[in-house]
Amino acid sequence: IILLLVPSEETDENDLILEVTAGVGGGLRHASASIGGSEAYRHMKFEGGVHRVQRVPKTEKQGRVHTSTMTVAILPQPTEINLVINPKDLRIDTKRASGAGGQHVNTTDSAVRIVHLPTGVVSECQQERSQLKNKELAMTKLRAKLYSMHLEEEINKRQNARKIQIGSKGRSEKIRTYNFPQNRVTDHRINKTLHDLETFMQGDYLLDELVQSLKEYADYESLVEIISQKV
Amino acid sequence: MELWGRMLWALLSGPGRRGSTRGWAFSSWQPQPPLAGLSSAIELVSHWTGVFEKRGIPEARESSEYIVAHVLGAKTFQSLRPALWTQPLTSQQLQCIRELSSRRLQRMPVQYILGEWDFQGLSLRMVPPVFIPRPETEELVEWVLEEVAQRSHAVGSPGSPLILEVGCGSGAISLSLLSQLPQSRVIAVDKREAAISLTHENAQRLRLQDRIWIIHLDMTSGCQLGTLGTNLQVWLIRSRGRPKVWHERSWTHLPWGPMDLIVSNPPYVFHQDMEQLAPEIRSYEDPAALDGGEEGMDIITHILALAPRLLKDSGSIFLEVDPRHPELVSSWLQSRPDLYLNLVAVRRDFCGRPRFLHIRRSGP
Repeated sequence: IILLLVPSEETDENDLILEVTAGVGGGLRHASASIGGSEAYRHMKFEGGVHRVQRVPKTEKQGRVHTSTMTVAILPQPTEINLVINPKDLRIDTKRASGAGGQHVNTTDSAVRIVHLPTGVVSECQQERSQLKNKELAMTKLRAKLYSMHLEEEINKRQNARKIQIGSKGRSEKIRTYNFPQNRVTDHRINKTLHDLETFMQGDYLLDELVQSLKEYADYESLVEIISQKV
Repeated sequence: MELWGRMLWALLSGPGRRGSTRGWAFSSWQPQPPLAGLSSAIELVSHWTGVFEKRGIPEARESSEYIVAHVLGAKTFQSLRPALWTQPLTSQQLQCIRELSSRRLQRMPVQYILGEWDFQGLSLRMVPPVFIPRPETEELVEWVLEEVAQRSHAVGSPGSPLILEVGCGSGAISLSLLSQLPQSRVIAVDKREAAISLTHENAQRLRLQDRIWIIHLDMTSGCQLGTLGTNLQVWLIRSRGRPKVWHERSWTHLPWGPMDLIVSNPPYVFHQDMEQLAPEIRSYEDPAALDGGEEGMDIITHILALAPRLLKDSGSIFLEVDPRHPELVSSWLQSRPDLYLNLVAVRRDFCGRPRFLHIRRSGP
């Protein structure tokens, strides 16, 4: 019954975009993926933050352990209702030639960049040959970015004391370490360590176990917050 | 082996080395063919970008990226798996890239070099000299789709809407409409046999051939409805590859009713502007697909003149035009009240230029 008291996130049911960036706070290597499915966000939301990998690279002759990091951002994709964008707030940049355009010009540069003028948020895409497709993809990414900004405001209303932070507060926190030489993975927010890193990396039951523990802890913190507000 | 490796390194990172954010690039001395096994996708893009730039080829980087990606089996360089960026290419792949790039050096448009291009998310074969669809035209299709969605009677019933496309070229407009309006039927017309074949090929590739009639017909030659001329041959190419040749004098004998919509990206370049077009266009694309006569209006006015007899009452015409045309078309329509056509809307393209016209038929 107590679990029913736990408020669910506005976005638990949503699809999401997962962005990974090498290094902390941005670097040269970057990728994003679109993930959908039943309650996708609810399952993935604890993955946001800095993942630290400790391993001995093959090229390392002295057996020293190297540490590298990967920053993961989980951006819920807003539905039509969640987020409404006024087309007048957008500036869409394409590399079309000056002059008459249209039949006068043959171009293969179909990159599209969209700037949301009120916030300055930018989204780009040049993954497709069709300019229209690039525009659609850029819009999808933009909506996700704007939506996560909107959600920040909601989350910021919560107490800072929470260990499991979703959103930009958590984004620069080291949440998990994968130690290959010692074959263990540790989630620092709940201080839980699992062994058998290989199996963990396959996904499946070990990862599920960790996510479940995280959920339980997040629910616990949520309840504590509600109760302490009332008192 | 050691010595050979070191010499190669010295050659490649020696004088004339070009800086690159992605790693070391080839030097800019006269290109020896890169040795197989030592060149990765990134290095090749860099190399050919340099070659193209030196020869004044426009969109040098984009061109080399598309060529390399294509040889590696991807549509764009960005969509290549990152692992492939640094893997060495086979000598076959290098040879292929060299061949395709040499065509680019002849100013052949990339779309013809690759033999395909995308439009509205569809992948279409491209063959010279059939006109290459422009990105603006994707917006024309979007507008038509929006309008159709708003008209409740056109949605859902089979064979509806019935659309005529004038000047189908590669089939881009017709096929993207067919693929997004599952009940629609299209009659696609072009005066060039090459365009007819290409549209037919693309229709089959996309499995849309059952809902499109492709007709080899010159709309402008002696085209008076009811007296089309005894020598007019109309090829009606239907599905399942059984061509039927139709000799017809009049549109009214053909096996379809009046159209809901006429859509066209007609040749609209002003004749005097033709010689200023880039070599890519002048040397490779069919001038008949571009040249609209003195004010670029010739084919536009032909379509408008024929429209009332082809369209249902309150049927629509959607055209892509030159930014100078909205006013010219407006005046021309006013000078022809006998056509009962009104310019109801002008839409801008993504560069803010007035590019698309919606004309509606109203009246007897």
